[in-house]
Amino acid sequence: MSDLAASRGAVWGLRVFFGLLVAFLYLPLVVLLVFSFNKGDVTFPLQGFTTQWYHLAASNPELRRALERSAIVAVVSSLITVVLGVLASYGLVRRSFWGKPAFAALVFSPLVIPYLVFGISLLVLFTAFDRFLTITMGTYIGLGLHAVTIGHVVVALPYTILTITPLLERLSISLEEAGHDLGASPWDTFWRVTFPLLYPALLSAFLIALTLSFDEYAIASFLAGSSPTWPVFLFAQLRVPSQLPELVAVSSVILLSSVLLVVIAEIGRRRSERRYAIGRS
Amino acid sequence: MASAQKGSRRVTAGLLAAPLLWLLLFFIVPVVFIATYSIGGIHILPTDPRQISFDAWHRFLLGHSVYMSLFWKSIRVSLTVSIVVVLLSYPIGYFLALCVKKRRYVLLLVIIAPFLTSYLLRVLAWKVILGDTGVINTALFQLHLRSPDDPVGWLIYSQFAVMLVLAYVWIPFVALPIFVGLDGMDLSLLEAAGDLGANRWRTFLRVTLPLSAPGVVAAFIFVFVPTIGEFVTPQLVGGTRGYLFGNEIQDQFTKALDWQSGSVLAFFLLLVVAILMAVFGRFSQVRTVPT
Repeated sequence: MSDLAASRGAVWGLRVFFGLLVAFLYLPLVVLLVFSFNKGDVTFPLQGFTTQWYHLAASNPELRRALERSAIVAVVSSLITVVLGVLASYGLVRRSFWGKPAFAALVFSPLVIPYLVFGISLLVLFTAFDRFLTITMGTYIGLGLHAVTIGHVVVALPYTILTITPLLERLSISLEEAGHDLGASPWDTFWRVTFPLLYPALLSAFLIALTLSFDEYAIASFLAGSSPTWPVFLFAQLRVPSQLPELVAVSSVILLSSVLLVVIAEIGRRRSERRYAIGRS
Repeated sequence: MASAQKGSRRVTAGLLAAPLLWLLLFFIVPVVFIATYSIGGIHILPTDPRQISFDAWHRFLLGHSVYMSLFWKSIRVSLTVSIVVVLLSYPIGYFLALCVKKRRYVLLLVIIAPFLTSYLLRVLAWKVILGDTGVINTALFQLHLRSPDDPVGWLIYSQFAVMLVLAYVWIPFVALPIFVGLDGMDLSLLEAAGDLGANRWRTFLRVTLPLSAPGVVAAFIFVFVPTIGEFVTPQLVGGTRGYLFGNEIQDQFTKALDWQSGSVLAFFLLLVVAILMAVFGRFSQVRTVPT
C-alpha cells in the first residue's frame, strides 16, 4: 500500500475526522433524548428528570390513533410490496423476456423520483378518479389510508427488489431444476424450495419497507386526507410548542425501535448468507 | 431448457403482471396525468381552464421570473449541499475502506444508523438546537456573550439553516456508495503506482481518486435528487428566507389551489431530474441491475 492510507499522519487525521463526524451525527439525537426526560419545555437550562412526557404521550388518544394508522399502512403496504417484489425479482433473475431492460428501469425508477412530485401525481390521479366517479355514479372514494398505502408500495418496491435479487442470484438454479425434474410444478418448487431459502431476505425486505412507510411524510402529507398518519400528525403538532416534549418522547421510543428493527433485519440477512454458504459446500 | 422456455412464457407473464400493473397504474399513469394537467388536458378544479394550451408553461418558462428564480435558488442550495456532503463523506468512506481492517462494517453501521431514524425527528432536533431559545443561543446567553433579547438570528429560519440540516440528514446515506466504490478497488494498482515512483499524494490523486469517481458521482446523485425537491426542511427551519422551489409546488396545490401551474412546476422538476439521471448515468456505474 503506498496511497495516503499508508501514511501514519493521514490515518491519524482521518481517525480524528471520523470521531468528529460521529459526534456531529449523534449529538442532536442525544439532545432530543435528554429533553424527553426534562421537566419543563424544550429549552435550556434543564429543569430536572421526569418521565411525565412518556405517560402523557401514552394517554393521548389522537396521538395513539395516528400511530395505529401508520402501523396499519406500514404493515399492509410492506406485505403487498414484498409479494410484488418477489414476483418482480423472480422475473428479473430467473426469466428472460422481451423488454427486460425496460422492465428493470421501470421498477427502479421510483428510487429517483422526488417524493413531492410523486405525492402530487397520486393526489391528482385520485382526485381525477373521484371526479369521474361523482359524474358517472354520484359517489366518490376520497383520499385516505388506502391512497397512502398505494403510494408507499411504489416507493418501497425498488428497495425490496434490491434486497431480494442478490440472494436469488446466488441461490443455485439447480435446486429449482431438481424440484422440477422430480415432478414438482413451478408453484410447488417455489413454495418448497425457493421460498424457504429466500425467507430471510424476504424478512429483511419486509422490515425495510416497514420502516420506510412508517416514517414517510412527503407522500402521506398529500394523500392522508382527514386521517393523518404518524409523521403527518407529528408535523402538524410541531407548531404547538407545548406539545413538543411529548412528541420528542414518542419519537425517542420510535427511534430506538426502528434501530432495533434494522439490526434484526441485518442479522437475518447475514444468517441467510451463512446458511446459503453452508448449503453450497 | 429451450422447450421448457416456451411453455413457461405464461409463467413469466404471471410473474410480471402484478408488479407491472401496479407500477403502470400508480406510477406511470399519475405522472402522465400531471403532464396532461399542465397543458390543460384534465380539469378537476372549477377554476381550471377548459381547453388545451401551453399558456401555463409559457408563463413559467418565459414570463413569471419568480418561479424560475426560485428554481435556480433551489439548484444552488442542492448543489452546495451535495458538494459539501460529498466532501465530508469522502474521507469517511476512504477511511473505512482503506484504513480500517477489523470492524469496518460496525463502523459503517455507526455512520449509517442515524439515517434509519425518523427524518422529521432529525430536523426537529436541529430546530431545538438552532432556535432563538435553543441550545446554542441559550448557551450564549448563559455565557453572557449575547443578551437574551438579541439571539443570533441567522441560526434558524435562514438558507444557512436549511443547508446545514439537509447536509446533516444526507451524510450517513452518502458515505455508503463512496465506501463501496473504494472497497472494490484493486489494491495492487496502488503498489504499482508506488513501484513506478509515484509518492503517496500523487498515487492518491492519480490512481485512487479517479477510480473512486463512479462512487462519488453516485453519492452526488443520492443527495442532489432528493434535495432538489425538498419542501419539508425549509418549512421547519427555513422561514421565508429558506423558501425553495419545492415549497412553491406544495403551495400551488395546498394553498393557491392553482393545480395547473403546480403541475407545470412539478413536471418540470421531474424532467430536470430525468435529464440529470441520463447525464450522470453515463459517468457512474450505479449497482448494475440483473438483466
